[in-house]
Amino acid sequence: MSNTISIKNPQAVRSNSSSETNGLSGSPGRPKSAESKMLGDVAELNSKAIRFKKFEALLECAVVDMEQLKKLSWMGVPEEIRHTVWKLLMGYLPSNSKSRDDILKKKRGEYLEYVHQQFFEGKSSLDQALVHQIHIDILRTNASIPLYQNTIIQESLERILYIWAIRHPASGYVQGINDLATPFFQVFLQSYVPLEDVERVDVLRISQDSLNEVESDTFWCLTRLLDGIQDNYTHAQPGIQRQIARLKELINRIDAQLYAHFQSEGVEFIQFAFRWMNCLLMRELPLKSTIRMWDSYQAEGIEGLSEFHLYVCAAFLVKWSAELKKMEFQDIIQFLQSCPTATWGDRDIELLLSEAFMWKSLFGSSPNHLKPS
Amino acid sequence: MSKDDEYDYLFKVVLIGDSGVGKSNLLSRFTRNEFNLDSKSTIGVEFATRTIQVDGKTIKAQIWDTAGQERYRAITSAYYRGAVGALLVYDITKMSSYENVNRWLKELRDHADSNIQIMLVGNKSDLKHARAVATEESKTFAADNGLTFIETSALDSSNVEPAFQKILTEIYRVVSNNALKAGESAGGPSLSGGKAIVIDASQPAPVE
Repeated sequence: MSNTISIKNPQAVRSNSSSETNGLSGSPGRPKSAESKMLGDVAELNSKAIRFKKFEALLECAVVDMEQLKKLSWMGVPEEIRHTVWKLLMGYLPSNSKSRDDILKKKRGEYLEYVHQQFFEGKSSLDQALVHQIHIDILRTNASIPLYQNTIIQESLERILYIWAIRHPASGYVQGINDLATPFFQVFLQSYVPLEDVERVDVLRISQDSLNEVESDTFWCLTRLLDGIQDNYTHAQPGIQRQIARLKELINRIDAQLYAHFQSEGVEFIQFAFRWMNCLLMRELPLKSTIRMWDSYQAEGIEGLSEFHLYVCAAFLVKWSAELKKMEFQDIIQFLQSCPTATWGDRDIELLLSEAFMWKSLFGSSPNHLKPS
Repeated sequence: MSKDDEYDYLFKVVLIGDSGVGKSNLLSRFTRNEFNLDSKSTIGVEFATRTIQVDGKTIKAQIWDTAGQERYRAITSAYYRGAVGALLVYDITKMSSYENVNRWLKELRDHADSNIQIMLVGNKSDLKHARAVATEESKTFAADNGLTFIETSALDSSNVEPAFQKILTEIYRVVSNNALKAGESAGGPSLSGGKAIVIDASQPAPVE
């Protein structure tokens, strides 16, 4: 029999020319001697070190200057301190360092209490349909990353989603929210294993207390993230519908040819952009790229996140404009179902973010620009 | 890219049914002969095509795979428009997915063309030890409701090919019958309700 069983990510198969720009050496295309490449590397390391120092100086203050922190974070947060910075940016940790420990303790205690309330009677007392839906989705969340194959991790994520769903009955659990929990989880877990690749870490070596902390911190940050975009997940998902309509208008303004091509091919934005909104582009990007992107998203603030995301989606679509304009309906849809981003690194994300920033500056403050002429 | 597709008919078929019953894997087995143990949940809709032969005619199937979760129904119902076939999938090891078949039928009645061909598909037939829905029961239910019925396994590929072949053939019969009844070929065959189901890819695109 010629059955193939593949468990690899189909995105990984496609290569992408932009991977060449992922290395430390800048300006691709211009041949460089080994020496000048080394100098480039040194310069990059230096600038990283300077940025790190700036973050450190900010975080050491008794009261963190949040505006400064947002400004710095927009350009990317160093991995070593990302967990703290994210908690600050999400408003989970207070800017005042004195009260931080107390608040963490209180919040973590509260979450553990929720867990106790829901789960102490055993699994049979839970909403079985909800348990089932979350369970089958967690089994297929980031299946290519070993960390998420671990049962302890899977159960932890399932509890987070179950408790969030129970406490937010207007939307309840919606498929895709499982994806949104993972960047927080991974970043927070990383801080307990600073020298290791968190995606391949031996979970058994991490203490139960640490895992509980990661779980509750993830719960609270996910809750805050979803607070800002809850109408993406309520009945008929009005938040997403609105975002898709705006994306369509925006593309009409910034790439009229692409817009017209989609129209003539009968491509509707909802056919591809629904997932972009529902999962904040996480399905189109490697998880590490999402994490880098969320540095900037969080720096935009919870209120600004969904607005900025709209411009990121526009920049993302326009990126493939030349290819898409040559395609017909079914090729367009299939291309957009698996965009060639598997080899993307931070540089590709940063380019995307700066393009989005540009569109937002051009159109964001003057909504009349959005009106079709 | 693919101008390779010369075809006589283009049929839109939707895959519906509860979350986790294997819709996406049925699609990938039929269109790419692949099975993916950890394919992600479908968000919104996904799409793939394959061309087959029926009675010497080339039929291109455009298959839309939908998200199974209840919350998505308000969105996905838009995708039933223009569909001439539906595979209503349940998991033979999960009774609740079979019990929900009635709700899915109602979805189709509310949102799809009344002439849509529906096939009831019991998937995961490889999991014999875990069977929860008897074949006979589904067979009777299907007969009572005017549906065709088949059991498949996207994992070991049994009956996947016949399932799609069968529904596409049925659609073809309905369409060619209607075309005969409608008299001549002027606008191409269409279903009652006036919905054109043959999309002519060679049509020039409107100029902006």
